[in-house]
Amino acid sequence: MKSLGKWLMQLLISIVAIFVMSGLPIIIAGLQQKQWLFKEAYESVVQAVKNLFPLKEYVFKYDQGWAGIKEYTYENTLSNYVEYSLQILVLSLATAIILSIAGTFVTMLFKDKTRQRIKMTFYFLESMPDVLVIVLAQLAIITIFKQTGVLLSKIAVIQDERIYWLPVFCLMILPMIQLYRLSMLTFEAEERKLYVEFARSLGFGKLVILFFHIFRNAIVSVFFQSKKTMWFMLSNLFILELMFNMPGIMNFLADHINTEVFLLTVFVFFVPVFILYSIGEWYFLRRVNKGGVSI
Amino acid sequence: MKKVWRQPLFVTGFTIIFLLLAGSFVYEWVFGNDPKQTQWIEENGRPVESWPISPRFESPVHIFGTDQLGYDLFTKIIIGAKYTILSAMAIAALRMIIAVPIGFFIGTTLRKYRPVINSLIDPIHYMPITIFAFFILYPILWMPMEGFTTTLTERIVLEIVILSLLTAPIVIALVANESSLLYKQEYIMASKTLGARNGRIIVKHLLPQMREKLFVLYGQQLVETLVLFTHLGMLQLFLGGTKVSYGLMADPPMSISYEWAGLFGDTFRYLGGAPWLPLTPAIFFAILIFAVSAMMEGFTRATNDLVKVKRRKGVTSMSEEIVEWNREQLREKMTLLKSGQR
Repeated sequence: MKSLGKWLMQLLISIVAIFVMSGLPIIIAGLQQKQWLFKEAYESVVQAVKNLFPLKEYVFKYDQGWAGIKEYTYENTLSNYVEYSLQILVLSLATAIILSIAGTFVTMLFKDKTRQRIKMTFYFLESMPDVLVIVLAQLAIITIFKQTGVLLSKIAVIQDERIYWLPVFCLMILPMIQLYRLSMLTFEAEERKLYVEFARSLGFGKLVILFFHIFRNAIVSVFFQSKKTMWFMLSNLFILELMFNMPGIMNFLADHINTEVFLLTVFVFFVPVFILYSIGEWYFLRRVNKGGVSI
Repeated sequence: MKKVWRQPLFVTGFTIIFLLLAGSFVYEWVFGNDPKQTQWIEENGRPVESWPISPRFESPVHIFGTDQLGYDLFTKIIIGAKYTILSAMAIAALRMIIAVPIGFFIGTTLRKYRPVINSLIDPIHYMPITIFAFFILYPILWMPMEGFTTTLTERIVLEIVILSLLTAPIVIALVANESSLLYKQEYIMASKTLGARNGRIIVKHLLPQMREKLFVLYGQQLVETLVLFTHLGMLQLFLGGTKVSYGLMADPPMSISYEWAGLFGDTFRYLGGAPWLPLTPAIFFAILIFAVSAMMEGFTRATNDLVKVKRRKGVTSMSEEIVEWNREQLREKMTLLKSGQR
């Protein structure tokens, strides 16, 4: 019961923090003209929240200047954008997790020296900025198309078309490397513990120990440290949508900068991820306290 | 500290950053801030290629090609290096200056409330930081229709302050957790018993103990800032502001200095036709981040030699024969068990 109260407080304060952030641009714009616009900022945030609810009837009106006002309803347009963005995020996350864990299993079967080399290579691969990954992927597609005439995937989307495998590939590759390095470190730390030596001396095979003993203990620690990867992925998704001109909510925000769209975008990602991690934390902590697994 | 200079990785990283910075300042000092321009390339008295000229090694040399106006790209990169590197360093440094004292304070005096503070800082991980940076910096950096009301220095200072404040809470949490772990050490308890106050413990014990970790943390912040720069460049928010021309015959948004994120964001749309334009700044970002990572890795290796010793232990302490013998035994027992079940 106590932890539920704590959880609610955590959620509440985060939401307040997001509201404060959404008011900041007005305050900063005021600062540039040497004015304090606290009241205006507060009113604009309150107005934005009022407009957003109920979400089903929400209409975003965009003033295009001489071209008139364009309306985007949540039900028909924005919800599709949101859905597509979340699809890409979830797909990439799942692929990154599966591939990194599988990679860890394979590497753990190698000798110590080979492992160190692989780890070093990945350490420096991690220093590739995400924009370079995307640029290189797009260039590769262009080159293949010029050479063979086969278009493997579209690299820029026109209107509301949805492309999947290339953006998912671009978004998952760096998180995969990060998660892989992270789980390699935890697996190796776990491998040095006494119980592994004991199991080995009893004659259990390497794969059995890896899967039934090390994996179950290491995964807890990997989960708790994976937050940073998630954080990185969210920012990465923004740039990805922009560079592929994908019909996602983040790309929409970049073109139509506005308090309401900003709040919608942030909450659309914040709420599911927050709930996901809360459930995960609750589950793993319970397991740790019960089963005597050590972090 | 001397050992650090014997680490090849550290020296490599340092050399790259030093060369980029020194080259940038020397170039400005000798040639000024204008890159050389080639309008077209002639062969047998006939122009064969006009700007943007692709990378070429014959005279006129343009190793990384030229931009859409014929200016040498490599020179632009060199001129922009100092703005990019120094502003990223400033942001990371300011972040540390803000976060380290607060982190120490939470880790020592407010130790009781650390879990609560942690749980409040934690949700930041679920918010895309680039969106926040974009949303808050937009009114500062995007030129409004009537022109900037602020000076270039004001904008740069505001940008640096905002970017360092945005992720400072996460650094605070890291420092607080680390220092509260150290706070439980016996020698710190001893010095507390002898009457030391928290201020003295921080200065005399925690700070020297954590110096190495803080250095690595600074490196991580630097990398994060550089990545954030590339993102903002892609969003057309350039260091020091984005010049926008309004009207029907509008020029595309322009970067005011030759800072790399601007060079990248400016030219991304030419990827299909002149790929060297966006690729060159992106590669230089990768080189810079690589240099910082190499410095961090070299530094870590120099400061803890213990890692190697630990790794050898445990794995080789048991002879293969014993393992093999045990395996045989297990196999036999399993077969016995199986036959017993039948």
